[in-house]
Amino acid sequence: MAETRREAWRVFWSSNISKLGITLLAILVIVSLYVVFTYPLDFGLKYWNNPSHWVDYPKGVPPEWTKYFTSENVTEHRIYTIYVPSESRFVESAGLYIKRYSITFDYQYDEFPSFLSFTVFNVTFSREPPIIFLEISRPDGVSARIYTLAVPGPQEGEEAPYMRYSETPFRVFLSGDPSVAQQLSRMLKRDFDISLTPTEINTIGPEKILFGKPDVGKNFTVLKGVYRVDVVLASGDEEDSVGYVRFVVAGNVYGWVGTDSLGRDLAVGLLFGFPVALLIGVVTTTLTTAVGTSAGIISGYIGGKTDDIIQRIADIINNIPLLPILIFLIFILKPSIWLIVFLLVAFGWPGLTIIVRSMILQLRTSQLVEAEVALGASKWRIMFRHIFPQIAPFIFAQMIFATPTAILAEAALSFLGLGDPSLPTWGQILNYGFRDGGVYVGYWWWIVPPGLLIVLTAITFVFLALGLEPVVNPRLRRFK
Amino acid sequence: MGLGRTLLIRGLSLLLVVFVVLLMVVIVLGATGVSDKILKAYVSEELRQIRQELSQRIRDPQELEKALEAYKLDLERAFGLDKPWYFRLPDMVRRVVMLDLGTSRTITSFSGSNKVSDIILERIPNTVILVTVAVMLSALVGISAGVKIATRVGSLLDRITSYFSAVSYALPSWWTGIIFILIFSFYFRLLPPGGMYSTPPPQEPLARLLDLMLHAVLPVLTLMAAILGGWIYVSRTIVLNVAQEDFVSAARAKGLPERIVMRRYILRASTPPILTNIVFGIAGSLGGAILTETVFRWPGMGLLYYEAITAFDEPLIIALTFIFTLIYAAARFILEILYVSLDPRVRY
Repeated sequence: MAETRREAWRVFWSSNISKLGITLLAILVIVSLYVVFTYPLDFGLKYWNNPSHWVDYPKGVPPEWTKYFTSENVTEHRIYTIYVPSESRFVESAGLYIKRYSITFDYQYDEFPSFLSFTVFNVTFSREPPIIFLEISRPDGVSARIYTLAVPGPQEGEEAPYMRYSETPFRVFLSGDPSVAQQLSRMLKRDFDISLTPTEINTIGPEKILFGKPDVGKNFTVLKGVYRVDVVLASGDEEDSVGYVRFVVAGNVYGWVGTDSLGRDLAVGLLFGFPVALLIGVVTTTLTTAVGTSAGIISGYIGGKTDDIIQRIADIINNIPLLPILIFLIFILKPSIWLIVFLLVAFGWPGLTIIVRSMILQLRTSQLVEAEVALGASKWRIMFRHIFPQIAPFIFAQMIFATPTAILAEAALSFLGLGDPSLPTWGQILNYGFRDGGVYVGYWWWIVPPGLLIVLTAITFVFLALGLEPVVNPRLRRFK
Repeated sequence: MGLGRTLLIRGLSLLLVVFVVLLMVVIVLGATGVSDKILKAYVSEELRQIRQELSQRIRDPQELEKALEAYKLDLERAFGLDKPWYFRLPDMVRRVVMLDLGTSRTITSFSGSNKVSDIILERIPNTVILVTVAVMLSALVGISAGVKIATRVGSLLDRITSYFSAVSYALPSWWTGIIFILIFSFYFRLLPPGGMYSTPPPQEPLARLLDLMLHAVLPVLTLMAAILGGWIYVSRTIVLNVAQEDFVSAARAKGLPERIVMRRYILRASTPPILTNIVFGIAGSLGGAILTETVFRWPGMGLLYYEAITAFDEPLIIALTFIFTLIYAAARFILEILYVSLDPRVRY
């Protein structure tokens, strides 16, 4: 037995297509293991399908490496988070403690940022509620206070120290906030003698005014140079503090694969798809093969009424159009990954059963089986100890060959909007990209990678199956 | 056994399939309480009409409510809502078969009706056109290419085809469709990204036909991409197997010209198994049509499926599931007739 196994492996390994298949499979498994050990289990619900997790990401931008293919210097995504104030002092005349959080950066891109946002987390104070200012100094010397946040005071029954924004951070979307537009309108009047109403400013985009110098008409061109953003905490007590402040200069490119229209980092979602696709493929085909083979062996060996019943059921299920019935059942019973696997097994076994039965019909008349019967072996022992091993290699090859079908079926269901919402899959990413119109506006980074990964996973198993063919069917070995 | 009897058996077993699907549908609907929901929607719809009529005659609000309550009980009894769901199975089967599933929630037919049967019936031809054209073209190209390649086994073309069919097995056709849109519609602006006609559709019949064909190119190609690879490969294998049979060698030994050997001996014997393959291919195409129509917004039953899923429209999904099964069984039966009349050996 060990000898034949080694021989089988040698035949398998001798073809290039098997080597390719094994390499791809190894990559899939390694990536899946990485994801399983590093991702939280509730990734789908808590992060992926939770829009508030993705607010500070740029929306619908291509991957970062595309900047090497454009002549322009494309804005990269920058998140500045500061925990420690760069300056703390007491202003005696006003009786206020000032804490200053400064962010300095050199903006040398040819494009405007896609948006600006400002976040404050966990403001603690013991007496008077503090006030927080956001100020920007530009390379041309112009500076403006663009946002003022008056932290809400203590409520009745609340005791010091008072905590604000400690559970959900306070976030202002600066590109679109009315008070920011008002401040910018004032800045333009004062420093450039340009009159624009806040509404006009919001149509142009506050980020273009903040990061631009006025050109002819209402156009602005990018102002390159060193910018300083100051967040100032003015409070009545020295102990008052801020957890962190964050300033986002949103880019026009992001990450390895870009982002979707909600700002989700597609690379993160695509990685999560690896173990899910493998799980669905492997679990579904293992169960389908187990059910299909057992039913085929029993049907073929026992014969009679049992055979009739199994063959009738197999014939009926085999003639049911699969996709419509899957859509109906999953829609009515609510999508979940286990339901999808169960249904793929329930409707997938008959094909194999019919083939296995015809193989058993030949085997049951063999001398080996006759000898077993004469020795008094039980039916079950003959079926699963003596007949099964003879067809096992074929069954194994069938199992590998059926894996792409299961992966593609799940992807198709997900694409139709019937995927398990708690587990993001490649099909679901494609569904969202399609539904959101990503195809019609040319968001290729949203459409091409998930499909390629589906093809890659499916073709891995096709390669393995092709490599296994000469092992299972020795007549094909002559090419060696 | 005669031809008629064979066909009768096949017909009956396909009818059994339709019946099993039907039964499964109504049992699932009953057990999950969805059939209750549908019937209750029926009742409240009727009550709304009755209320309008009665409010003209009965002025006293209390009287009116009482009368309505009585009507409601009557209606619920008539619909069987006072009994557990399994007593209603025959009635539910009748409803599904007659497509008497009330009104859809939001989706309407092109003419504005929201009766389930109206919506579905006007979509059937669109799906049938698409699938028929794609299957016929695939059969034409697939079989002729398969036969051609079978005469040149081991050639470069043969190997390319083998790889092509392996890739086509691993390729989700709907994704191919999306890529087609991205390439031919978005980047090159050669073909429309979806729909059946431009808006507004051309009035002149010839221009209209041309417009339809232009819109059909990508969906048909997508459906073909899904099935063609497999068909070429299978036709090639079948022809190869037949070509190795003794009777073919005997024909060659008699000195018959290769052309006649091919036509009279190899092809005639290969047709039935190739046809069987196409029969099973129809199933794949029907499923593929759901996805392809969705991708190209082709207004057939497949797109309707997607729209119904997105709109949570239960009555439509039930009706579509039934109609799909029915059309599938009908298509199978038609090909079965073709098959049995071509191959005398199948008459069992």
